[in-house]
Amino acid sequence: MNSDRRTPRLDLRAVSKTFGGTRVLHDVSLDVAPGEVHALVGQNGSGKSTLIKILAGFHTADPGASVLVDGESRALGDDIQDAGVRFVHQDLGLVPALSVVDNLALGRGYATSVGGRIDWRRQRETAQAAIRAVGYDVDVRKIVDDLQPVEKTAVAIARALQSAEGEMSVLVLDEPTATMPKAEVQRLFEIINNVRAQGVGVLYVSHHLEEVFELADRVTVLVDGHKVATRRCSEVDQRALVDLMTGGVVDQARRSSAAEHGEQMLKLEGVGGTELIDFDLTVHAGEVVGVAGITGSGREELCSLVFGAKARTGRVSVGGRELRASRTDIATDLGMALVPANRLRDGIVVGLNVRENLNLTTARRLVRHGRIPADDDRQQASRICGKMSVKAPSLEAPILALSGGNQQKVVLGKWLQTEPTVLLLDEPTQGVDVAAKAEIHHLIDEAAIQGVAVLVCSSDETELERLCDRVVVLRHGRVMSDFVGDAIQTRRLVHTSLGLTS
Amino acid sequence: MSSSTSQRMPSHDGRESESPDTAVPGPPSGPSSAWSLGALRLDRYSGIYLAVILIAVFCVLLPDTFGTANNARVIAGSAAIAGILTLAVTVSLAAGTFDISIAANMTFSICLLGALLTVVELPWVVAVILTVAAGALVGAVNALLISTIGVEAIIATLGMSSVLAALSFWVAGGQTVLLNEVGSTFTRLGTTTIATVPITVFYLAAVAVALWYLMEHTPTGRYLYAIGSNPQAAKLAGIKVARLTWISLIMTGALAALAGVVLTMQLSASSFGAGAPYLLPAFAATFLGSTQILPGRFNVRGTIVALYLLTIAVKGLQLKYPELPWIKDLVEGLVLLVAVSITTYAVRHRKTR
Repeated sequence: MNSDRRTPRLDLRAVSKTFGGTRVLHDVSLDVAPGEVHALVGQNGSGKSTLIKILAGFHTADPGASVLVDGESRALGDDIQDAGVRFVHQDLGLVPALSVVDNLALGRGYATSVGGRIDWRRQRETAQAAIRAVGYDVDVRKIVDDLQPVEKTAVAIARALQSAEGEMSVLVLDEPTATMPKAEVQRLFEIINNVRAQGVGVLYVSHHLEEVFELADRVTVLVDGHKVATRRCSEVDQRALVDLMTGGVVDQARRSSAAEHGEQMLKLEGVGGTELIDFDLTVHAGEVVGVAGITGSGREELCSLVFGAKARTGRVSVGGRELRASRTDIATDLGMALVPANRLRDGIVVGLNVRENLNLTTARRLVRHGRIPADDDRQQASRICGKMSVKAPSLEAPILALSGGNQQKVVLGKWLQTEPTVLLLDEPTQGVDVAAKAEIHHLIDEAAIQGVAVLVCSSDETELERLCDRVVVLRHGRVMSDFVGDAIQTRRLVHTSLGLTS
Repeated sequence: MSSSTSQRMPSHDGRESESPDTAVPGPPSGPSSAWSLGALRLDRYSGIYLAVILIAVFCVLLPDTFGTANNARVIAGSAAIAGILTLAVTVSLAAGTFDISIAANMTFSICLLGALLTVVELPWVVAVILTVAAGALVGAVNALLISTIGVEAIIATLGMSSVLAALSFWVAGGQTVLLNEVGSTFTRLGTTTIATVPITVFYLAAVAVALWYLMEHTPTGRYLYAIGSNPQAAKLAGIKVARLTWISLIMTGALAALAGVVLTMQLSASSFGAGAPYLLPAFAATFLGSTQILPGRFNVRGTIVALYLLTIAVKGLQLKYPELPWIKDLVEGLVLLVAVSITTYAVRHRKTR
């Protein structure tokens, strides 16, 4: 009651965003009161990040949006930063190789003394004061890389506060706890409470609902780019919030799965990485097994660990043959295929055209008399393009001329050509439009029907419900729960991955 | 190297950080269709047209010195040795590594060959084989440093250059050795002509055809381009990235040594320090070549076009302005800067649209 009467620190009105004909944000409005922590929640693809990026000026909003900071109309982007809106993005934007002092001085300037020499003592004191201002204490001479995650976040927040020179109106925190151990989260909350006590409004983006309830005053839920609700945290419980987040989502028809699966194709024993701990799993021929889990649960690295793209512990075997770690070439020879999550970095080869990308995995098979016959090369690419309904200006077009969905189909097609026995899919429909998503799902169904053992890691729970015969939910690197058949429901998957009992 | 620059976008929770999905109905290929001017395909063949124009202009201006059959032979022959070294650069750049030790490797090969022939007195065939093998070994050491240990390519090959310079001095005693005693076959293999065309041109042609075939018609070539463009994605496609890096650097080393062998045959002397002047033009022609025939790619045919374009321009200007001894350095330096600027710009343009 009390805080809402006052002029909001931040008042966003009617923000929409259209990417190439697809509207990803629909008239989203929200406000943040002085001293309030306002949480923004939603599943992946709900538009949270897009909204934050519009605020920060990475994207331009569609016409019609307006924003007020402390009651004054401002332009999105640099102008609201001038008005004291500060961002701490998930990657924090610190320079890891420099000390805390240097990081705080960058962009602000060093205190200098005679002869332009840096006055290190004064600089250290300034840095110390900046860190204390967020109610924290870090040895400012330390290199940022050596700090704990929460300490790094503290430095980033201190820097934001310092750069606003005491005039900070709003602090936007985007997934600050994604890579933070639980114990440290409490220390972060102390910092945030310290900042809000100074009258700053905090916009807090998070996947972790328990954090929302512990920290936030109000919460806004986005679903598919629509704001479905803004509630006081005291007026909703976690379950109601999850219902809001997943509600309104129409579940697509699930694949009518063959009752019997083939022999065991993929077997993981005690697989571990940087997050994943001692993970066991088997996938049979024709079976689609999904893995759910929030950021940091181990879900993100599983496919890379299995394929050998990332160093791992434990044993992986394919069709009974053990696969050595870090040998992607052997993995491929054994019939394994990986569609990676980061398409631009790991999936496509930008320097090669559509045809060469499609035939990259099968170039050796095309060889006749020591060379690749140009006709066979083209025909094979053309065949798979047709089968996958890839929309490309031509087979010789640069791969970047294709839309994200079509690039993804090329990556998938490149692997389906190898007739894999085990297909690993990491976020198979990330950044893909709705139509292409449905097509990709259909192709995955088809592969499974043909007897491929499929492992899907996805942060999109509806996708897992749509595709999978079995879903394993990870949390903190360990298996939380295992769902089979009709028990696979988006709501339950979300609940479990957030650590709630379903 | 610019083509291997990895792209990073600020990414938060994945899906939304991807570039928006827009179907881009563009021209089939090439950075801009306006450039291509119909059948002329200026975007691919501008170098050839420019070479023809230059030849015509210099023939009109200098009918007695430039416009002669003899001058044509000189241009063809002198470009041949530079050409073998240039193709050495093309192979490693296509695979995404950078070898500046090629010139030092060439010098070393020359000195080693001289020593093997005069001091050890090996038969010339054996000496040539050993020299090329030594060049390949240098390439293998570069690969060990760059691919296996992970030293930055420019630093590894810069250090290797210095080591090779020292080895060259040690092997040759800092002397140019005349090889008159080796036998007429050896020198004839560097100086004779076939149908009035210098034999060295045939060496270049043989190397170029072999490399062109490898790079554009075999899986190995495609894999080399893939690792040069995106080694991470190539690795995840099951390609043996480390092994291919080794292969490309070993080929580069062997080709640099071969260039040294051919030069030694041509001069009938093992000339101490002869490799160094070839370094810059080799890089200039390779980068210029990446704007030709298959634009955006370090390719063999483009490299050959660029090589001859550069040689013709330099030779013509040298004959026109004999009083300006610095003209060669100026032209080659400018060509390198302009060619790299074009490729860098094209890559950035391609990535940001």
